Amino acid sequence: MKKNKTMIICFLAPAVILFLLVFLYPIVRTILMSFFKIDGVTDSMDKWTFLGLGNYIELANTSLFKTSMLNLLKIWLFGGIIVMSLGLLFAVIITSGIRFKSFFRAVIYLPNVVSAVALAVMWLQAVYSPQFGLLKTFFNALGLKNLAKIQWLDSDHKFWALLIAYCFGMIGYHMLIFTSGIERIGTEYYEAATIDGASKPKQFVYITFPLLKGVLRTNLTMWSISSVGFFVWSQLFSNVTADNSTITPMVYMYIQMFGAGNTVTERNAGLAAAIGVLLCICVVIIFTILNRLLRDDDIEF
Amino acid sequence: MKKKKRAKTPVNWKKELRLAPGYLILLLWVALTVVLLGWVLMASFSTTKDIFNGNVNKFVFPTGLHFENYAKAWSSQNVSRFFANSLFYSVISCAALVLICAPAAYVLARFTFLGNKLIQTGFVSAMGVPVIMIILPLFVLISKMGILNNEMANRFTMIVLYVGINVPYTTIFLLTFFQNISRAFEEAAAIDGCPPMKTFWVIMLPMAQPGIITVTIFNFINVWNEYFLSLILANSDRLKPVAVGLYGMINSMKYTGDWAGMFAAVIIVFLPTFLLYIFLSEKIIAGVTGGGVKG
Repeated sequence: MKKNKTMIICFLAPAVILFLLVFLYPIVRTILMSFFKIDGVTDSMDKWTFLGLGNYIELANTSLFKTSMLNLLKIWLFGGIIVMSLGLLFAVIITSGIRFKSFFRAVIYLPNVVSAVALAVMWLQAVYSPQFGLLKTFFNALGLKNLAKIQWLDSDHKFWALLIAYCFGMIGYHMLIFTSGIERIGTEYYEAATIDGASKPKQFVYITFPLLKGVLRTNLTMWSISSVGFFVWSQLFSNVTADNSTITPMVYMYIQMFGAGNTVTERNAGLAAAIGVLLCICVVIIFTILNRLLRDDDIEF
Repeated sequence: MKKKKRAKTPVNWKKELRLAPGYLILLLWVALTVVLLGWVLMASFSTTKDIFNGNVNKFVFPTGLHFENYAKAWSSQNVSRFFANSLFYSVISCAALVLICAPAAYVLARFTFLGNKLIQTGFVSAMGVPVIMIILPLFVLISKMGILNNEMANRFTMIVLYVGINVPYTTIFLLTFFQNISRAFEEAAAIDGCPPMKTFWVIMLPMAQPGIITVTIFNFINVWNEYFLSLILANSDRLKPVAVGLYGMINSMKYTGDWAGMFAAVIIVFLPTFLLYIFLSEKIIAGVTGGGVKG
């Protein structure tokens, strides 16, 4: 037993120390910082002035921050609907016994392994470009001059252009999770349903969907976590640092802290910390709600 | 294996017809992906003038294929340096992650001790923590230590952070893997008088090889594509990894106007993970579904 003790400590120490250094210590400190006014980010603690919830109240009164939260909500909600429905649709098709299953699966997942910067450039230039974009060429070829003239990257359309490009890259991952969930459902259910004369869509509604609750929860959790960190796409789709149509909380925080932003009125690291805490609270709330709503109830399979 | 089995079964046209809408949807999606990638690939062999004339959209190359775009991007646009940086960061981080996380995962999977559950819960929760929550104190710590002024120290710190950020995921992934290996091997080793630590390095670690390979592929892709941390911490062009370097190049492209060169750079950045994916897609996909469902 004694020998095991030294082994446990030796084997665990590096991982746990890194965890404490990179996660636990920064999290605790960020929470602390969010209650203070901190002029310079590197100021030592005795220069901090206690504000209580002051930073949070200030954020609630900053219109740009509110816009960024609203954008994030839109990305999460609309993007979530697009990604979950298409992901599920693809998963259902892929598990329906088609040929070249692994080829299709591999192509759909492909964008997930590619750098987001490269992907965003592809969409920005190849698809949306007002000079030579594919959308323009496509609509011109169809003779739809009005549609071809649309500036996909102006402030009216930019958000949706961004969202579609982002969703394109995210579907693969969520499709895979759905696929593995569907594959775990025993074929005997479907055989029984087919014998009883249930059509494919009916089988989906009454068998597949109810049994996918747990997988849906995993998917929604992952989606929420990745949405909260929405940053790269936003940065690439906007030329100015604070662009109302694409700004997200993380971009706002980056401008606050590190950017030579055009909107920064005051430097306050506490404010940036408060944004982090708010986003974490969002994740926790979503997680709790999902656990309540999509509980793995008595269905066993 | 499955694929081979299916290829031998004769085509059942009635069944295939029923599945036609499914094929159609998937083919459309594949076409979209191919067109997107294909366009950038063609543009990268074209010239800026041809791109703006719309020649790329018509699949014509009036002046032939311009391989020199790649040569130019590689040498003059710093792409080679970004590439080397990313390779350096990714390889070292991946190796360090295995050496740090595999032993931890093994101990967590095999031994009962005070705090085991707590550590596991901590690691799982950490996977949901946004970077924004941890970046400020880390930045303070790093800039106070004067690390940003020293190139070697800056590189080292970046690797420590890449490793640290991926520790929870890697450990939890390998943990489920070790749990599925039978205890009989350790029992046999113990009877033969092999000490537990040696048992791990000589017997268990090689047995976990498939899991280690999968998680390493993921870590490699993660570190290769990492953006936010590098954006904040890579203090000079000499330290930037590809993602951040590419972003800088796109911004400067507005002034130089070498669009074809930029697309060549995009392809160069895109290629390593893409090639990895072509050869290892089955493994990567199995890794996603294996790890994802557990979570």
